[in-house]
Amino acid sequence: MRVLYINNGGGGWADYIQVPEGQTVERFFAERMPAGKPEDYLIRVNRQPVSRDTVLQENDRVTITPVKVEGAA
Amino acid sequence: MNDKQMARMAHQIQQALLQLRKNRYLEFVRQVNLLAGKFQELLRESRKLGISLSRDWLAATEHCCKGIYRQLSDVMFPVGHLQGLLDRRSKETPQVAAVFAEIKALEAEFGEVEFNDEDNCLSVITEPITLEDVYLGPFRIALCLDHLGELHRQTAYFVTALEPHPAATDEAVTHPHISNEAVREGDGGPAIRAALEAGRLCDFFTLIRSILQTYNPDSPYVSLADWYGVPCYDCGYVMDSDSSYYCSFCENSFCEECTVICASCTETVCKSCAGTCEICEQSICPTCTRVRCSQCESICCQSCLEDGLCPDCKEERDNHEEEPEEKEDKKPESSRPAEATAGGRVVGREPGAADSGVALQSDGLGQTPVLPGPVG
Repeated sequence: MRVLYINNGGGGWADYIQVPEGQTVERFFAERMPAGKPEDYLIRVNRQPVSRDTVLQENDRVTITPVKVEGAA
Repeated sequence: MNDKQMARMAHQIQQALLQLRKNRYLEFVRQVNLLAGKFQELLRESRKLGISLSRDWLAATEHCCKGIYRQLSDVMFPVGHLQGLLDRRSKETPQVAAVFAEIKALEAEFGEVEFNDEDNCLSVITEPITLEDVYLGPFRIALCLDHLGELHRQTAYFVTALEPHPAATDEAVTHPHISNEAVREGDGGPAIRAALEAGRLCDFFTLIRSILQTYNPDSPYVSLADWYGVPCYDCGYVMDSDSSYYCSFCENSFCEECTVICASCTETVCKSCAGTCEICEQSICPTCTRVRCSQCESICCQSCLEDGLCPDCKEERDNHEEEPEEKEDKKPESSRPAEATAGGRVVGREPGAADSGVALQSDGLGQTPVLPGPVG
């Protein structure tokens, strides 16, 4: 099935990607951000915070935003 | 903000994003025309090159080649700029319903969303922020809708400290990564712009909040270690640690105005600890004030000291060494009694008495010559 994935940790571009049926948010995060810790990110599905065992649905909009972003001077 | 206000707001934002998209295309057209102009110049130069070559004007050909080389480098910048514009172009503008949903999500995330009619800004307020035990207070992140359409040229948001705790050395710096209400986005820059252009308001505001909640010690306006500044021990002026000077004698920090550099060893020392060379009156550190003239014991810097003597004593010693030699040159061949020095002067025979062979006593001891023969 297809979901819209927005990774705000990189360039912040949105992409439609294919994920297996019944995939949970936790599994999705582990696959997309293998080096990341869930507590360092704000994970939302369809603009709402969700629990880790939430199962993704067709055309869901998954947003992963880092809670720590280094600014500059 | 009620739903009606939110809907009106969503419509305004969507219009601003449409304007941004249009402005980007306009900028693209402008840049393409600029590039086309450059190519026209290149073409003209190419024709000249062909004519010069056909007539065997090799010097003119070379001149044309140099011109083309110069123009090629002028073409590079517009090409790169154009590519950047194309890369960043927004392919579609969000619908009003999507923007409305974003404002709703924003409200859920931050608790409250405000709209200021006067400056046409949508804003949220963060929780009070503390970084490495430095309390910075809450911040208002405001997205200015009037500037959203000009996002390709200028920033469209500003961040204001609501309880300012600015750096001691710069009141404009209310956060290590904010100066004059402008955020230096650092790593977050591309994602912030992408979120804004796509109308993903919730992502935009949360990314700004993420920057505010993070301290990058490698690149702050003012480091948190220097947030409260370093006061000068003498005059009280507050400065950052890089601008302060440490006096190793009294072990305090001072500003530039309250320190001097030792003329002998170049160590920085505070004015209270510093001494002065009695000859040139330059400042010297306490260690170097121990160096004195071996004769008169006046404090001397290294540059004034020669052979362990101050310039006065050195001159005096040199005079002593030279004068006997001069006198020696004037002496007749016959041997004379030993001369003595007293009070820095050479004493000996009176010039007139030299030939008479009459010995004189030194100054102050009676100098009347006693001649042989009857008196009176």
